[in-house]
Amino acid sequence: MNIPDILQSIAGRYVTQSFLHAFIAVIITDGALRAWKIEDPAVKQRFRILNVLFPIFSFPFYQLINPDRGSLLFRTVALFDSGRWMGMEVFGVVSLHFFFLFLLAGTALVFFFQELVPILRHLRESDTDVAEAYDPVGKDLVEEALMSLPMDRPRTVIIDDGDMVLFSSTGRKAAVFVSSGLLKALNREQVRAALAHEIAHITRSRRPILLATFLLRMIMFFNPMVLVEFRRAVRNEEKICDDIAISVTGRPDALAETLKKFYSRPGRSPDAAKELLSTDVPLEEYSHDLQLESRITRLEKARLQSRGGGWLPFTIVLLAMSGVCYFVV
Amino acid sequence: MRDKIRRYVYFALTIVAVVILLKTLNWLPLVLQQGTLRTYDSVETVRAQLNIRDLRVPNYFPQSVTWPPSEIWAQTKPYVATLMVFQRAGAIGPILVISQAASDRPALDDRIRILQVKESVPYDLKGRKALLKVGVCEQNEVCSRISWNEGNCVITATMKSSPFELIKIAESLVP
Repeated sequence: MNIPDILQSIAGRYVTQSFLHAFIAVIITDGALRAWKIEDPAVKQRFRILNVLFPIFSFPFYQLINPDRGSLLFRTVALFDSGRWMGMEVFGVVSLHFFFLFLLAGTALVFFFQELVPILRHLRESDTDVAEAYDPVGKDLVEEALMSLPMDRPRTVIIDDGDMVLFSSTGRKAAVFVSSGLLKALNREQVRAALAHEIAHITRSRRPILLATFLLRMIMFFNPMVLVEFRRAVRNEEKICDDIAISVTGRPDALAETLKKFYSRPGRSPDAAKELLSTDVPLEEYSHDLQLESRITRLEKARLQSRGGGWLPFTIVLLAMSGVCYFVV
Repeated sequence: MRDKIRRYVYFALTIVAVVILLKTLNWLPLVLQQGTLRTYDSVETVRAQLNIRDLRVPNYFPQSVTWPPSEIWAQTKPYVATLMVFQRAGAIGPILVISQAASDRPALDDRIRILQVKESVPYDLKGRKALLKVGVCEQNEVCSRISWNEGNCVITATMKSSPFELIKIAESLVP
């Protein structure tokens, strides 16, 4: 069996169409977010999750309602027939399906090394005990901040490290990890904001919808559009947790100041992230700083709109993408 | 209210743009590469444009089949394949489908689908080893299919009728 025949098989059509459907879903969703000026990260995340889940189910659903969707007759009325492009030859030498498969294989590798392995490692580490550093000053500060937060108090670990470290682990032994270096750099309000943000992560990680989305997202391990959309959903998660932290502390400025400590080059202004584009820095560092800048700007402008809702645009988008993708084979 | 309507219009325009983009992308391969699967008006056009000399057309047609074919599909990339659909005389709907594809490659389509094969027997078609299948299609209609290797390609003829007429058509396809 050669590659064109594989792509014409049920599995091949599923892979091809899920890629195309995800691509179209992203275009339609981005158009909807612009049309309705949706800024609320919770609503945005709902759209991103839709883009992750839609291509998983679209092909089987369409085949169920019309088993003849792959026929020539249907392809004559289709908006887009992938078979035409897959058979194309670049300079009469290499067929486009090679590039397509190369893209899928690359995405699968990125998924494995950048998502699956770190998550498995995170799950394993979250179940192991971590030795806490003895830092009486930092411990008092953390205790004081936690006492003033109207949230469930998770285990908090102070790491003896001069760098700016703040993260949380989920799972059975959920905990917030904060470095002594960060605690020295933050005042009481900023520690509160930082802890509230991490506690929000732990609380939200217990929601089954996010776990279910990730498990389903693994089916699309080859799909580059799903990879991008899942990461955008994760970035929305940061903003959602920012909003939760602010709703608890009432101090967006404190959280913004805390975030500034996490720039890859300490002491930089938020605007300097743009300058990074023209300088020789790793892409990951640039991306990290750009995301921080986006969050800080949002906090400083107090554009916090976690009000939920937006179900009518969501329904319209779902119907529109279902209608369009039905004719994409 | 006006702003609300504007937002819906903006989204509707996004959908229109997506549809136009898809239609354009669907059309581009036809322009960029000769031999991509598409419909043709006549058998002669296929022969001339795609240089498929080996395209076989039956010499015998029962009265129930209309000439010329209502649809002709052909491609040379990624492999040579053709499909001719013939309509039932005096009625709507395909009655005969003749497909020709490079050996070991899937035929283009299955416009007449045999839902249940009742009998499958080897058949000697003018010295070629053919496989004859008889069964039922939609609405319990009797269908038959015959396929055999002819040079470097596989010819398959499917008809909504008993195998007798189909065999005569198939014999007329063999030189």
